[in-house]
This record gives sequence, structure tokens and C-alpha cells, in this order.
Amino acid sequence: MNKLALPLFMIVMAALPQVVSEYQVYLLTLTVIWAIMALSMGLVLGYIGQINLGQIAFVAIAAYASTLLRLNFGLSFWLAAPIALAVVVGIAAIVGLITLRLRGPFFILVMLAFAEIVRLIIANWQEVTNGPLGLRGIAPPEPIFGVSFASKTAFYYLALVVLVVSLAALLRLVRSKTGRMLVAVREDEILAEFVGIPIMRQKVTGLCISAFVAGLGGILLGPFLTILAPSQFTLFASVDMIVMVVVGGVGTLAGPIIGAAFLTYIPELLSFANHFRPILMGVVLIVVTLFAPQGILGLLRGFKRTLAREARDGQ
Amino acid sequence: MLAQQVVNGIVLGSIYALSALGFTLIFGAARLVNFAYGEILMLGAFFTLTLMSALGLPFFAALPAGMAATALLSVILFYLTIRPLTRKSYTSLQGELQVILVTLGLLYVLRESAFIIWGSAPRKIEMGISGIVMLGDVVLTRQRLVVILIMAIMVTALYLMLYRTRIGKALRAIAQNREGAAAIGLDGDRIIAFVFAVSGALACVAGSLLGTLYAVEPAMGGAPLLKAFVIVIFGGLGSVPGAIAGGLLLGLIETLAGAYISFAFKDIFTFLLLIAVLLLRPAGLFGRTR
Repeated sequence: MNKLALPLFMIVMAALPQVVSEYQVYLLTLTVIWAIMALSMGLVLGYIGQINLGQIAFVAIAAYASTLLRLNFGLSFWLAAPIALAVVVGIAAIVGLITLRLRGPFFILVMLAFAEIVRLIIANWQEVTNGPLGLRGIAPPEPIFGVSFASKTAFYYLALVVLVVSLAALLRLVRSKTGRMLVAVREDEILAEFVGIPIMRQKVTGLCISAFVAGLGGILLGPFLTILAPSQFTLFASVDMIVMVVVGGVGTLAGPIIGAAFLTYIPELLSFANHFRPILMGVVLIVVTLFAPQGILGLLRGFKRTLAREARDGQ
Repeated sequence: MLAQQVVNGIVLGSIYALSALGFTLIFGAARLVNFAYGEILMLGAFFTLTLMSALGLPFFAALPAGMAATALLSVILFYLTIRPLTRKSYTSLQGELQVILVTLGLLYVLRESAFIIWGSAPRKIEMGISGIVMLGDVVLTRQRLVVILIMAIMVTALYLMLYRTRIGKALRAIAQNREGAAAIGLDGDRIIAFVFAVSGALACVAGSLLGTLYAVEPAMGGAPLLKAFVIVIFGGLGSVPGAIAGGLLLGLIETLAGAYISFAFKDIFTFLLLIAVLLLRPAGLFGRTR
């Protein structure tokens, strides 16, 4: 992503609610929240070199923890959210210490098992989580510094700020020492260890950062949807995130955002049948993996190269 | 009471073992994690059901036909979606990830196709066998006895295939050393296609048996897939005896934990056990460290 892209993206996204309908604002907010969650999956793919089929568990823990703190203990959103995020990062560190020792398919399967445990606990712990019926009537965040988040547009801006701040922080991370060490570990674990990088610590750090970003999506989810239920946090939600990353472009920060926008709006355009959304997800995943493994960004780059070559040949 | 629960656990475990076998065979031979496996199992059950309702076939005639159809479907899906990726390499991380992505895509497509074709109402497969058998205090329906019997037949057939035929030998060679097998002239793709066929047939049997005990519906593939994951990790990814033992063990654990600890939390219990096994023996109870 070049220097101009992030400010430009901010300006366009900030201007949009002024010109579109309320339903479009809802879709935009949905896109932004999905983009945050997809970004977290992109980090796992980019930094650990794995897919995480349990990523949605981090979202679920943050969503439920923050909402339960608000509903049961009367905490404000602004106090509940950081506590929930701390819980998620703590759990990610413990889970990471256990699972990141495992290689390839074992990591994937165990993270899937972890997510299932989280989902089953949410579904069965009736007294606290209200089981499969879920938590309902979740209020928007309380006003802070005189800003109210009761309107859909205001909440959209909140989500957008979270996304942009995360992006800016991750851009810095990529260029930092930690970011470069993470890439080194992904590329060649043995070599990384040989040059003195503590690989286990780096991997756990990577997972914690990713869980933190997933948690950011989670704390926004409750107030946005106003209900939380275990059925929202199945394996398929993790797969949706993977589809977004893969469609947008693996190994980039812009990719997950492009993927989230693409996969929120395409089903809208094809809204004539609900059954087509999952099929579309599946077909897109297969086709992109087989024919465009670099995703939309890769296609754009290829297109640019072709144009450049034609311009050169034309001279 | 305990003996009854143990027998129930063995019945459930037999089906689990069958579901895990097809999954673990593909991993063993091709190092592929097939996330679409649960949906193949679901489609297999629907094939059997449709053959019975459309042609009026009895269960024991519809099952072999369903197995053939599912095997064919499995092979077609292999050639269409997985083989293009494996030409590069099965074993690199990138290739492995791509196969997982593609089979996850297949999972969506197959499940939703089944919704569109058959609707979401659960249906039962009638095996056409009634009556009960008493073994001491233990009550067992004849139908459940047949389930155990079918499992035993399938396992025997699989072992004969693996250890008494040329293709079984080739398959084991591929599983042990892909490059070595290619060097002595074995056609990897064709053998793996054959594994997909066998895996599809086994999935059809497991799905149809689940349909006789519970119900056939488009969403039925999710649970067996998760169970297959758990079982192959218990038993070691790619290990055939591991899948059988792991399946029976899981059936027993689930039934006993459901009866004596907590029905609602029995699945959590299995997943926790799974994580414990992985921590103590990362290659599984029967697997060898590579």
C-alpha cells in the first residue's frame, strides 16, 4: 500500500455516509466490521503462515465478554471493551503456547477444536449466556466526550476509526523489528532460530496481535447487531474471513478490506435468493484459489503490468 | 446399565470409525486434509435414500449403488478441483493451504446444493430390519447389530484391499514415499483418484448408517467431519488402525460421558481430551513421529 492510499481511503469512507441512504450505511458498517475481522485473519496467514479456523472464537469471546460486562455489571462500553480485549489476548497467549507447537494440519484442527469448545460453552452455559437464544437488546455505546453513538452513522464512524487506527498500527508493525522477525519465522523457522530469533515467542506474539484485532471486531459486533447468539460464531464465520483474505490478496493489508467489501456487496447485488450466498462463497473460494491465488490485488497488479508492457511495445 | 452404555458406545463408535477411515485414507496417501469429506458423507446418505425412494430398492441393494455413485462423485471432484493444485506439490505449505481452501469451498457448494435439491427437512432411511436381541441384560435392536456387522465387513474389505491387492500395495507405497513411488513408475494421480473413490464409498456407508439411526439432512455432514478430525488425531493422521480404534474409543467416551457426566457438555469433553492427547502425543496414539 503506498503512502497516499490510507488517507485517500479514509476520506472516501468518511464522506460516504453523507451521500448514501441509511441502509447503505448499515452495509458500510458491516463491511468495516468484516474488514477488521478479515484483517485479523490476514495477520495469521501473513505472519504465522497458517489459516486459523478458530479465529472466530476470539471474536466471540470479545463480543460476549464485553456485552456480559455491560449487561450484568453495568459497566460502560468504554470500560467493558478494554477488559474484553485483555481477556482475548490472555486467552490467545495460552492457546498459542499450546497450539503453535503443532505443525500444519494439526494446528488447523486443534484451533478448530478450540473454537468449537468456545461455541459449545456459549451454547450450553444457559445461566450466563442465555444459551442458543443469545443476548438481546444490546445498546449502542454510551456517549463519550460529548459524542453520542446512538445513530447508525455515528456508529459507522466509530467502526471506521477502529479500522483505520488498526491499519495504521499494523502498517507500523510490518516495518518494525517485531514485524520483520515474524516474517523471518514464517519464511524459515530453522534459519530464524539459527540467527537468534525466539520463534515460539514470536509466533505467540503474532497470534496475540491477531486475536486483539479480531477482538476489536468482536466488541463492535454486539452493539451493531444488537443481538449475539452462538450460531453466529461457527466454523463458517472463520471460513468467511479466510475467503475475504484470499479474495482480496494474501500477504497484504489492503487485501482483507477489498475482500470484505467484495463479499458484502456481491450477495447484495444477487439478493434474489438467500441460498446463493454460501454457494457463491464456495465458488469464489475455489475459483480464486485455482486461478488467481494472489487475489484481486494480484489481478490488478497483473493488469497494470500488462498495460505497462503494451504501452512500451506500442512505442 | 454400564454394559448397555458400552454396547451403545460401540454402535456409535462403529459409525465414527467408518467416517474417519475415508478421511484418514486420503490424508495417509496424499497428505490432503479434505474439508469437503463431511459433505461427501451427507451426499452419500442422500444417494442411498433417493435410490430407495425413487426406485423402491431395499436398503441393502441401494447401499452398494449409492457407494458407487458417491465414489464416482468423489473422483470427479478430485479431478476437477484438487488435482490442478497438486500438480505443483502436495507437500509444500502453500499447496496444503490451497487444498484446504478449495475443499472448504466445496463444503459450501455441496451443502447448499443439497439444500436446494432435497430441502432441509430431516428424513430417515429405513433399513427394513426390526426386532431386538437380548444379550444378558443388554438390549440391542437388530438394526444396531447390523451396523456393527457392516463396519466389520467394511474394515475387513479395506484390509484385504490394502494388503492383498496390487493397488493396495501401490497405495501404501505412495503413502510411504511419494517420490520413491514415482521413481519406480507408479502413477500417483491415478492411485490418489482411487483413494478418493474408496473414501467416497466408505463415506456413503457411514452417512447411510447415520441416516438409519438418526436422520438424513443437508447439515448432517458437519458433525461427522469434526468427529473424523478428533478421531484421526486420537489415532494418528493417516493411520488405518488408528482410525478404527479412535472411532470406537470416541463412541465409547461420548456415550459414557453423556450418560455419567453431562449430556450437554459431552462434546466439550471430547475436544478437551483431543487437545490433551495432542499435547502428550503430537503424532496421535497410534501415529509415528515423522
